[in-house]
Amino acid sequence: MLDETIALTNRALKKWIRSPATVLPGLFTAAFYLALFGNSFNPTNLIPTSAGGVPIPAAALAAAKAAILATTFGGAATYITYLTAGVICLIVVFNMSFGGIDLILDRQLGYFGTLLTSPIPRASIYFSGVLQNLVKAMFLGVLAFVIALLIPNGLVLTSSFGVLEFLGAFLAIGLLGLGLSCLFTAIALSVKTIDSLIAIVNFLNLPLIFMSNSLFPSSSFPGWLKSISDVNPISKADEAARILIVKGNPSPSGQLGTVVGDLLYLVGFVVVMGALGYLVARRALSPE
Amino acid sequence: MSKTKIIEAENLTKVYKGKVKAVDHISFQVEEGEIFGFLGPNGAGKTTTIKMLNTLASITEGRATVDGKDVSKNPAAVRDVIGVVPQELTADDELKGIENLLLSARLHHVPHGEAVKRAKDLLKLVDLENSAERRVKTYSGGMRRRLQLAIGLIHTPKILFLDEPTLGLDIQTRTNMWAYLSRLNKEQGITIFMTTHYLEEADSLCRRIAIIDHGAIKVSGSPSELKERLGGDILTMELDDGPDVTDFLKSIPDVSDVSQKDHVYRIKLPKAERALPAIVEGVTRQGLQIKEISFTKPTLDQVFLEITGKSMRDEDAGESDSVWQNVINERMR
Repeated sequence: MLDETIALTNRALKKWIRSPATVLPGLFTAAFYLALFGNSFNPTNLIPTSAGGVPIPAAALAAAKAAILATTFGGAATYITYLTAGVICLIVVFNMSFGGIDLILDRQLGYFGTLLTSPIPRASIYFSGVLQNLVKAMFLGVLAFVIALLIPNGLVLTSSFGVLEFLGAFLAIGLLGLGLSCLFTAIALSVKTIDSLIAIVNFLNLPLIFMSNSLFPSSSFPGWLKSISDVNPISKADEAARILIVKGNPSPSGQLGTVVGDLLYLVGFVVVMGALGYLVARRALSPE
Repeated sequence: MSKTKIIEAENLTKVYKGKVKAVDHISFQVEEGEIFGFLGPNGAGKTTTIKMLNTLASITEGRATVDGKDVSKNPAAVRDVIGVVPQELTADDELKGIENLLLSARLHHVPHGEAVKRAKDLLKLVDLENSAERRVKTYSGGMRRRLQLAIGLIHTPKILFLDEPTLGLDIQTRTNMWAYLSRLNKEQGITIFMTTHYLEEADSLCRRIAIIDHGAIKVSGSPSELKERLGGDILTMELDDGPDVTDFLKSIPDVSDVSQKDHVYRIKLPKAERALPAIVEGVTRQGLQIKEISFTKPTLDQVFLEITGKSMRDEDAGESDSVWQNVINERMR
């Protein structure tokens, strides 16, 4: 099954790479999200620059901004530093949810018929769908990280941020992506039209994103919203990745346990979504 | 000695969602090495039958075997021996012709070295060897159809299912496709099970034909057997003024019916070639001059019309107008 899964994944990735119309928007989206959210949602912009017509000294403004970032945004050097993990999670969520469109096109254009009459395990169709979307989303996620580093006043890493922290952050994001890919691939295999998929995705996406700490810390949420945000897998991936990106090595700040706990939670999410998705996909791929 | 039955369908029935009976207790057999044509109006059950045989659709009732393997009980074994060329053009636009073939070979577990060799041979067979390295999106409709055929053959299947293999092709490309299919059948002994809208295609390629309508097989046999059901050829003969020779013509063996108007005789006979010399000789012996003589052989379209009450040409106009049909049509250009 592995060989068929890899063959089908290769096919999808070749098509993706060779079609700039599908790759380029992904690249722009990463830069756009960071620039847009990084400026429009930046709470430090709310600090008045003058009081009673008297300009506030630059040093005082800087101190006020630093205090907000330290108390509300986990000690991030800039708001984009805080935001980077959230934006990468957003990119992953959107790519996973709409990634199923290719599968629906394959079904509508008859390619599925060709696959289903080939001597390949049905599961390889499902797993290749999961894998191709994960690879695409992770590529765009890494790209967003690089763009965040390049943006003026953007992502500022601490001296303790190294390869392990980078891998840890993207492990958390990858697990989120894998779980979501299992879910959305199964949905894409089950629905017959792109319209249906978009309707379901729109129904799920916005609540998932806004009931998470992607763009804003959940500590500022009302109790009921915080309760939901705390069990939202996007929040878990975001929290783990954010600690590693903002703080670097999480041990000195005593947050290693939080990171490990989040990763374990995400592994559980992948297992549940994988099993559920596989069952749904198996049913969707069975003979008419 | 009778040939091996490579496809056997027995009371094959498909009911969708417990309500719509698409195929209703059909039974037929396909012999190894033959080209079998499956004809019928839109919605008659052709595609559903193919889907059941190639494991895409479950069988509600009845039984089918392909190469001796039970389609319901052992679908994986069936998939090992079949090739399917669907009506849709499913080759990937963004992949090169050769890449499409090698991907299909890999999915059929053909070793890479062997797959490369076969791909080159097949591309040569379908005249695409010079376009192998081009992306499929640059291919014409005819090239895509030929590539589709090559993809269906890359794993050298024992049985090839073709669903409207020449739909939308110009007559020249269609004729070339018939030549490829004939060569495949003769040289490699591949059994071909095909549906087609083009009755001349079925007539020229198929050894046997079944016509299906409303989910049931109405008639089956060789093209000539089916045409003979109509009562034979029509000979039209115009004579100079003279006596009525209707009775004389009716007395000639093999003549089944004669009608006359204004010295123009329409003579129905099972085999025009056999009765023609006797007719010409008899009329001439009676001192009559033949002004004009012609005969038409019955066509499969006439058979189709008699069986289904519809002409296949009427069916052509009823193609799907779905968005994806438009996409497929666009690919054909």
